[in-house]
Amino acid sequence: MRRLPVYLLLDTSGSMNGEPIEAVKNGVQIMINSLRQNPQAIETAFISIITFDSSARQVVPLTDLASFQMVDIKATGTTALGEALQLVSNCIDHEVAKTTTEKKGDWKPLVFIMTDGIPTDSWQSGLAAFKQRKVAYTIACAAGSGADTAILKQITDNVLSLDTADSQSIARFFAWVTASIGVTSTKVEDAGKELIGLNELPPPPAELNIVV
Amino acid sequence: MDKSFIQELFKANNITVGTNRQHLFDAFVNEEKNRLAVKLIMENKKLLMDTWQFKNRLADIQQQPVSIPNATAGKPYEVKLDFAQLNWNDFSYFHIEGLEESGLQYDPETKVIRGTPVKSGDFKLTLKYRINGEDEASAPNEKKVPLVINPNPKSLWKNMESDKNDPYWKEDNVAIYAPLGDRHLLAASKRGRSHANTGGFREDDFAFKHFTDTGWSVLVVSDGAGSARLSRAGSRIACNGIVEYFEQHFTPELRSTFDALIATHTAAPGDKTQKELTRFVYDNLGKAAFTIHKKLEEFAATAAAPVKDLHSTLIFVLLKKYESGYVIMSFGVGDCPIALINKDFSDIALLNRLDVGEFSGGTRFITMQEIFKSDTFATRFGFRLVPDFSYLMLMTDGIYDPKFEVEANLEKLTEWKALLEDLGGKNDDNVKVDLASHTTETANQLSAWMDFWSPGNHDDRTLMIIS
Repeated sequence: MRRLPVYLLLDTSGSMNGEPIEAVKNGVQIMINSLRQNPQAIETAFISIITFDSSARQVVPLTDLASFQMVDIKATGTTALGEALQLVSNCIDHEVAKTTTEKKGDWKPLVFIMTDGIPTDSWQSGLAAFKQRKVAYTIACAAGSGADTAILKQITDNVLSLDTADSQSIARFFAWVTASIGVTSTKVEDAGKELIGLNELPPPPAELNIVV
Repeated sequence: MDKSFIQELFKANNITVGTNRQHLFDAFVNEEKNRLAVKLIMENKKLLMDTWQFKNRLADIQQQPVSIPNATAGKPYEVKLDFAQLNWNDFSYFHIEGLEESGLQYDPETKVIRGTPVKSGDFKLTLKYRINGEDEASAPNEKKVPLVINPNPKSLWKNMESDKNDPYWKEDNVAIYAPLGDRHLLAASKRGRSHANTGGFREDDFAFKHFTDTGWSVLVVSDGAGSARLSRAGSRIACNGIVEYFEQHFTPELRSTFDALIATHTAAPGDKTQKELTRFVYDNLGKAAFTIHKKLEEFAATAAAPVKDLHSTLIFVLLKKYESGYVIMSFGVGDCPIALINKDFSDIALLNRLDVGEFSGGTRFITMQEIFKSDTFATRFGFRLVPDFSYLMLMTDGIYDPKFEVEANLEKLTEWKALLEDLGGKNDDNVKVDLASHTTETANQLSAWMDFWSPGNHDDRTLMIIS
């Protein structure tokens, strides 16, 4: 079966402590519950969670929605975004199956990045590695004014920003991520074709500003 | 014991017992009242330590992350709680509450949660337990643990009617039987669950025609790209267009040229005759394909839509029985296979090259200009002259994705045998297509067979079988 891999790269640096991190956990949980009600998503979407603070970790490997169980995440440390980009590149290499004559590959992965700060590591090498991987689309979300959208713009054209990293805005972001995964899983199954950019996804809600 | 305890106590409080008072101290230690006091202190100390350790253990258990694997409604479930791994060997009592509504039960004997969930949802289970040393009459401790029961994916699919007033509407399901000279055609095309779920349209299509006067048959299958807004129209135009093309352009002159070519080739086959046949196929089928491309461009212009809105794959076959055998000419763009299985079922040949990308979804469409310019254009044609055959099949990926999984398997005879057995009733639903009987009922059987369930495969399904 062709899977639709979805990687969520979540900033768990110290500045996310408190309301933001709780909202992120909540957002992921609601997203999973909601996608489980979508017949296409529950059969095709596989979710992985990568957190980054002083280092990056894949806290949930690529897992089908039916078996997915959220793990507890805590906010502490700095913002190793570069390491997260390197890690997701490695994960794509060993988790996402390419189409060969012997095996039907997975759909191109979707990557969602959420950060509230500026990378504290040397992120360019991670970005260089990530750029070599084939993804359907990457969406980066700058949560609050502390994030640098110019850096995110170098990762992907699709950059959104939240004015504040409060629970309502973060909830809206995850609701939109949910809708985007839902639409994409329908499209790939239906059309046999990947989506490529923001313009093919559901319009982001008012809380999400599109960074041009 | 008592003496040393009191000595330690006095020492800790800077009380010294002089050597001249040793007698008095010994008597003090032996006094019944004081011995009792020491005993009580010791007991209370132990009580404090035990109580603390007990509370500590309970707190550990409360904080311990316990994850019970998710279940799915309608799917048998069996999960054993590994008490050793959970470090719960000190439990004197254990029970689970909250499973009552779910259809699952906990068996304390085997420590297994099993059953078939009858409903989905987020369940909150209460683990009730006592640890060793707790009074059996006391109320057990409680720990809440979530259990997710996923909905049965089958129950999530809706079947919504497509809009009959749409200008490009087509029937959701069609199935047909038709005689094809001395052969038989069976075809069915079915709207996929993914489209039924949203009231969408079937985007696959097929068409065929048998020219009784000439003995030629033309067979066409097309898969409208799901991402293309009007692909249901694209696939229909492509299918009908190919039939029309050969109605109009496969002139008596062309036919007699071809008949002569076949006669020469049969009498003395060689490189030259082979080349001429190849040329004929390339010219005529190539022209037909290009005509469809043009037709789709024109349609797009009239509909004021970009041509990519009509993206469709296309495979077609021209078939005729000669004295020397069956001539099968073919063209294909996209990922739909044309398969020819020989008379004694010992060989399978794919008549077309499939366009498949590095990652899934990298196909080509008849709507793409570049296919006509590409080096690979010549590889899109096929020519066969075979004494006989058992089956000729044309299908969309809605059939082979679930049945063959990968394109490479399309070249494996065993996989085709399995498909024929599957059609013969060897499937989960025991639906049988009686391919030996040639009636409309057989076509309905084929349509029923095409309802097979395959996770992740809910695309439109089209299958044409010539037998």
